[in-house]
Amino acid sequence: MEPLKVVVSGPVGSGKSTFVRTLSETAIVDTDAFASEPIGKDMTTVALDYGTLRLDGQLLYLFGTPGQQRFDFMWDILTEGALGMVLLVRGDRPQDFPQARRQLDYLLSRQAVPYVVGVTRQDKPPVWGPEEVALYLGQPSEYVVGLNATDPKSAVKPLLRLLELML
Amino acid sequence: MTKQEQLQQILRELKQALPELRSVVVASVDGLPIVHDSSDAPRVAAMAATALGLGRRISQTTELGSLEETIVRGNHGYFVVYAAGEKGVLAVSAPAGANLGLIHLEAREFASRLARTL
Repeated sequence: MEPLKVVVSGPVGSGKSTFVRTLSETAIVDTDAFASEPIGKDMTTVALDYGTLRLDGQLLYLFGTPGQQRFDFMWDILTEGALGMVLLVRGDRPQDFPQARRQLDYLLSRQAVPYVVGVTRQDKPPVWGPEEVALYLGQPSEYVVGLNATDPKSAVKPLLRLLELML
Repeated sequence: MTKQEQLQQILRELKQALPELRSVVVASVDGLPIVHDSSDAPRVAAMAATALGLGRRISQTTELGSLEETIVRGNHGYFVVYAAGEKGVLAVSAPAGANLGLIHLEAREFASRLARTL
C-alpha cells in the first residue's frame, strides 16, 4: 500500500504539534520557535511538524502546519500532494471556531481531500463535544471526532475515522 | 533611546554599510516584523522565521551545529536569513551580483548587535 500523506492543520494552540508528537512512531521533525505574542504557550511551530505511523497496515505520513494565518504559505506547501486532512480545533475555545472554519474552507479549496475535524481537549470539561461542533461548523456528524491529543489511544481516533471515510 | 529606536538605528547603519541591499527585515523568531524597510514586511517576516526554523532543524539533524544563516539564491538575487540570538531573525535581500562575502561579514556583525538589543 502506498503511504498516505495527511496534513494536520487548525488554529494556534489547537494541539497539532502535540497530536503529531503523540502519534508518531518515528523521531519527529518539529520547528518550534519562541512565541513573541500572547498565545497561551511559550513555543509555536514556524515551519512544520512531521511524524509517521502505521495504522491497520497503512503507513501514514503526518505533516503538521503552523497555526497562524501569516504562515499560510506553509499551508499551501504542505497540502500539496496530501490525500487526507485532519483539522484540529480546541473544544474549550469556541472563539476559535470561526477561524477553524475559514481554515478548513481555505485548505479544501487548495486540495479537495477527505477530511476529519478533531475537537481536542475532550478530557478537560467543560468542553464542546464533537456533535455540537459539527452543528456549529455545518459539518456532517461523521466528519467530526472528539479527542485528547496527549493520549495515543484517543489521538488516533480522527485518523481511524479518516481511513474509514477514504475506503 | 527606546529599544525600537535602537533597532531602527541598527537598521539604518546596516543599510549604510551595505547600500546594495534591496530590503532588510528584522523579525521575531515566530515571524512578526519588528523593524524593516520592506513594503511586504509581514509576509517576509513570516517566511524568514520559517526559513530560520527549518534551517535550525536541518542544521541540528545533519550535525552542523547551531545555525548561522540560511541562503536562498534565485537568478535575480539573494535572500539571506541570519539568526539574531534566540529571539530574532535578520533577513536581507540583495540583487544578483551582490558581494555575498561582504554581506555576510556585515550582516553577521549586525545580527549579533540585534541579538544583544532584542
